[in-house]
Amino acid sequence: MNWVRVRKDSVVINGNMLATESTGQAMLKEVYKKCIGDYPKFFKMDALCRLGFVASELLLQQESPRVVNTEHRAVILFNRSSSLCDDRNYQETIQDSDNFFPSPAVFVYTLPNIITGEISIRNKYYGETLFAVLKQFDAREIHDIVCEAFLDSMTLDVITGWVDCESDDDFEACMLLVARDENNFTPEFINEI
Amino acid sequence: MDNLQDILKQQIIDALNLEEIEISDIENDAPLFGEGLGLDSIDALELIVLLERNYGIKIKDPAVGKEIFKSVNVLADYVSKNRTK
Repeated sequence: MNWVRVRKDSVVINGNMLATESTGQAMLKEVYKKCIGDYPKFFKMDALCRLGFVASELLLQQESPRVVNTEHRAVILFNRSSSLCDDRNYQETIQDSDNFFPSPAVFVYTLPNIITGEISIRNKYYGETLFAVLKQFDAREIHDIVCEAFLDSMTLDVITGWVDCESDDDFEACMLLVARDENNFTPEFINEI
Repeated sequence: MDNLQDILKQQIIDALNLEEIEISDIENDAPLFGEGLGLDSIDALELIVLLERNYGIKIKDPAVGKEIFKSVNVLADYVSKNRTK
């Protein structure tokens, strides 16, 4: 089972550290340019979406061949801070009545489930998508919700994990690709990542 | 930068986070939408905000927006004739 963990100062793929020279948003840009680099829309994304996009790209690069254009893959993600990071940025554009210029480009990211959409659009996934905001990281709840997704016979595998961004430079993501018949997908495994 | 076209190009690059695009990459007569820069409908809204914020121009008629975003030259001509700041 492939997995990725991205923190503000480190990237780990299947247990192997990816060498990076920067931290925070600069690190996400560095990883994008070094390992991805063919999706200019990345630069328009907010911090949370960049985090989820980079994590998903690194995860899917481990897959061979990479699966695209399918209705059998679901995207089910979780976090605690919802889209609060971008919500704050948007608030700044409307805070001052004398300088009131709401930004459409910032506004579109004021929902966390934009990440599941971006991943689905990028890879042409037509399966189920869900973004749930939890009170706190809960491996058991994540596990149980993903298992419920497999009750739908259409879903053969799930991109799942935790994608949380408290501020532009304080974030954490862990993402897994779980197959329907994966025996190692347990709450304990999620916690170990 | 010594003309309105180049100023607008830089403002477009900044407003739309076109980090891999430079002023020299944007032709004065090239379409802003549909090809080249790959702009979308959200970008169009952002450009409308840019015109109001930087030049005091309010675009209320969608048909006007469609016309003035044809190219940087067309946009610069419209801005020079209608700006209030």
